[in-house]
Amino acid sequence: MERKGWVRLDHASNIFLAARNSRDTKVFRLTAELEDEVDPVLLQRALDKTYAQYLLYHSVLRRGFFWYYLEMSDLKPQVAPELLPPCAPIYHFDHKELLFRVIYRADRIHFEIFHVLADGTGALWFFEDLIKEYIFLRYPESFCDMKKQEREWKDQQTADSFSHYFRPQRAQNFTESAYSAFRSVISTSKKAGKLALRLGKKTSNYVFTDHLPTEKKRKVYQVKGKKTPDNRMRVVEMSLPTKQVLALAREQKTSVMIYLIALFFESIRKASPDFQETGTVSVSVPVNLRQFYPSNSARNFFLTTRLEYTYGKEMDNVTNICQKLSEQLQYQLRPELVDEKMNKQLAFEYNFPGRLIFRPLKDMILKFVNLWNNQNLTIAISNMGRVDMPEAIGGRIQQLVLLTSAVRPQFCMISSGEKMTICFTSPFIDTTIQKEFARQLTKQGVVLEVAANQVTAAELEE
Amino acid sequence: MSDCSYCKSKILTDEASCPLCGQPFTEQDLMREGRKNPYPKISLRYDRQKVFKNLMLLTIGISGLFLLIEVLWLHQLHGLQLATFGLLSLWTVVYIIISKRRNIAKSVTYLFVIFSLITIYLDYVTGWEGWSMTYAIPIISIFSILAMYLAVKIVHLEVGDYVMYLIISSILGLMPALFLVFKWVKDPALILISIGFSLLMFLVVLFFHGGDILHEWKKRMQI
Repeated sequence: MERKGWVRLDHASNIFLAARNSRDTKVFRLTAELEDEVDPVLLQRALDKTYAQYLLYHSVLRRGFFWYYLEMSDLKPQVAPELLPPCAPIYHFDHKELLFRVIYRADRIHFEIFHVLADGTGALWFFEDLIKEYIFLRYPESFCDMKKQEREWKDQQTADSFSHYFRPQRAQNFTESAYSAFRSVISTSKKAGKLALRLGKKTSNYVFTDHLPTEKKRKVYQVKGKKTPDNRMRVVEMSLPTKQVLALAREQKTSVMIYLIALFFESIRKASPDFQETGTVSVSVPVNLRQFYPSNSARNFFLTTRLEYTYGKEMDNVTNICQKLSEQLQYQLRPELVDEKMNKQLAFEYNFPGRLIFRPLKDMILKFVNLWNNQNLTIAISNMGRVDMPEAIGGRIQQLVLLTSAVRPQFCMISSGEKMTICFTSPFIDTTIQKEFARQLTKQGVVLEVAANQVTAAELEE
Repeated sequence: MSDCSYCKSKILTDEASCPLCGQPFTEQDLMREGRKNPYPKISLRYDRQKVFKNLMLLTIGISGLFLLIEVLWLHQLHGLQLATFGLLSLWTVVYIIISKRRNIAKSVTYLFVIFSLITIYLDYVTGWEGWSMTYAIPIISIFSILAMYLAVKIVHLEVGDYVMYLIISSILGLMPALFLVFKWVKDPALILISIGFSLLMFLVVLFFHGGDILHEWKKRMQI
């Protein structure tokens, strides 16, 4: 009998397992809304084809004495109608199951994935290919009379040559595709002699700060509220024209992401009766490391930055908040600081002192680290940016949505075509923060479409 | 789709009020054609508050039942000691069965250990006559190993998924040898059968699945 390939799980992904619980499932969802009702038979065909090309997604998660590991499986994914709340748990102890699911309802295709397997960028590669494949099958007529240039692009896609360059995931064997992104980067960089990463140092030697040097640590405001009865998340989805919000951000001389974070901070201040005039709010913002270190790995490869704003020091308006947040982000994304963080992460991967610690104990330690980190965060956001696809494909997509399980109020933003979607998720029933956020946008003339899920027995009975 | 005149937003809903501010839609705003709510109504899987309340009631009910049995049947009252012990055992077994339900071999191993500990404790609180070591544990050991072997064959569990647990159970089954060494038991017959059976199983597994064990060992014990 041929034994299955397996790869030890990296530390960067281990934290998701340790921090995972029935409320914060560490699952995130990518959604494409199409023109017509989804055809499950074609979707299954598209999934079979895409799945065959991405070996990483064949993984199941297993537990060892000291580590978790990803093991190649023979399982075949099946598309299913949407019957569970968004981002329902995917990984269960002792259950050999794939770490993603593809579900559909009406005109929407959802791809849900356990964060241990890949990060947003990595997952988007699979999702884009799945949607492209589905659209090829669902609307073959569109590709008959498409322009020569686009047809060539499509041929390249199907012949698997173009994407080989950008997505070597497909060409690799299981072990290579499941290998930690951090470790793959270091092995390629070492060969190229590009990065002088100090691997010899112990993790404890690294002392650096996220904050501007003058900043002092303050107690950070935490949103409180009544949680949902069955641990599902409250989802509030807002769709808006990208141009409108871009114009508003330009008025503030900042990026859309920073502008929306500023609105989020303001919404919390307005929605929370116990918020003090001198309160501090902070946000965690993941940054894709692939823009700093070239990597084709779909595994987790990002660093987290933390931005904060303390009220009551000067004029508390959106302009000022935007300016402060931009300064902090720029500071944290200086190449030397990113290198420093990368070094810390790598040292952690290579020289982790707790190798001999029994896995459940390691999980417990990481759980405490995570709880401690959570104390310093009010909200989190995730920005997938703009997803561009050729007209023949993109024209069939009404909008994309990104959402993630959340232990605190959070939003994820993604845009495609003319539309941007900001999707809020929260463990709390209350939607006052989301209401304040929406009203700030509509007050400035933004055309907003809002949808929300039902989370309480009363809402479900209506 | 409806319009919320308070939030100035288009709301994708069939409900009568805005999900953001809770204000009811006016006649003009209601039932306009357009996109429907993309989030389906999915029934609650459970209600944490209700589950907690029911479990508490069940616990109190079972405690009462234990006390009643002690008085009516055993004609003695150990107070809450046995009731607490019974409840702890009950919830431990329920927890093991539920949390390990996806791997029969693991579930049997855990139950084997917990039942052995339960019998030792019961033996201890009822006068320490040694029946747990003489009879209970050897019997539990033999039948756990047998049950595990039959169960994994019936459900066609993959070798890699159960082989380590079969080995662990066989090794645990050898533990009663210590009872003999320390002369804790008077009648060694059952213990000898249990040790013989565990040893046999250990050798059989090692002989047929030695390679699998090594592979699993490397995978699971990697530092």
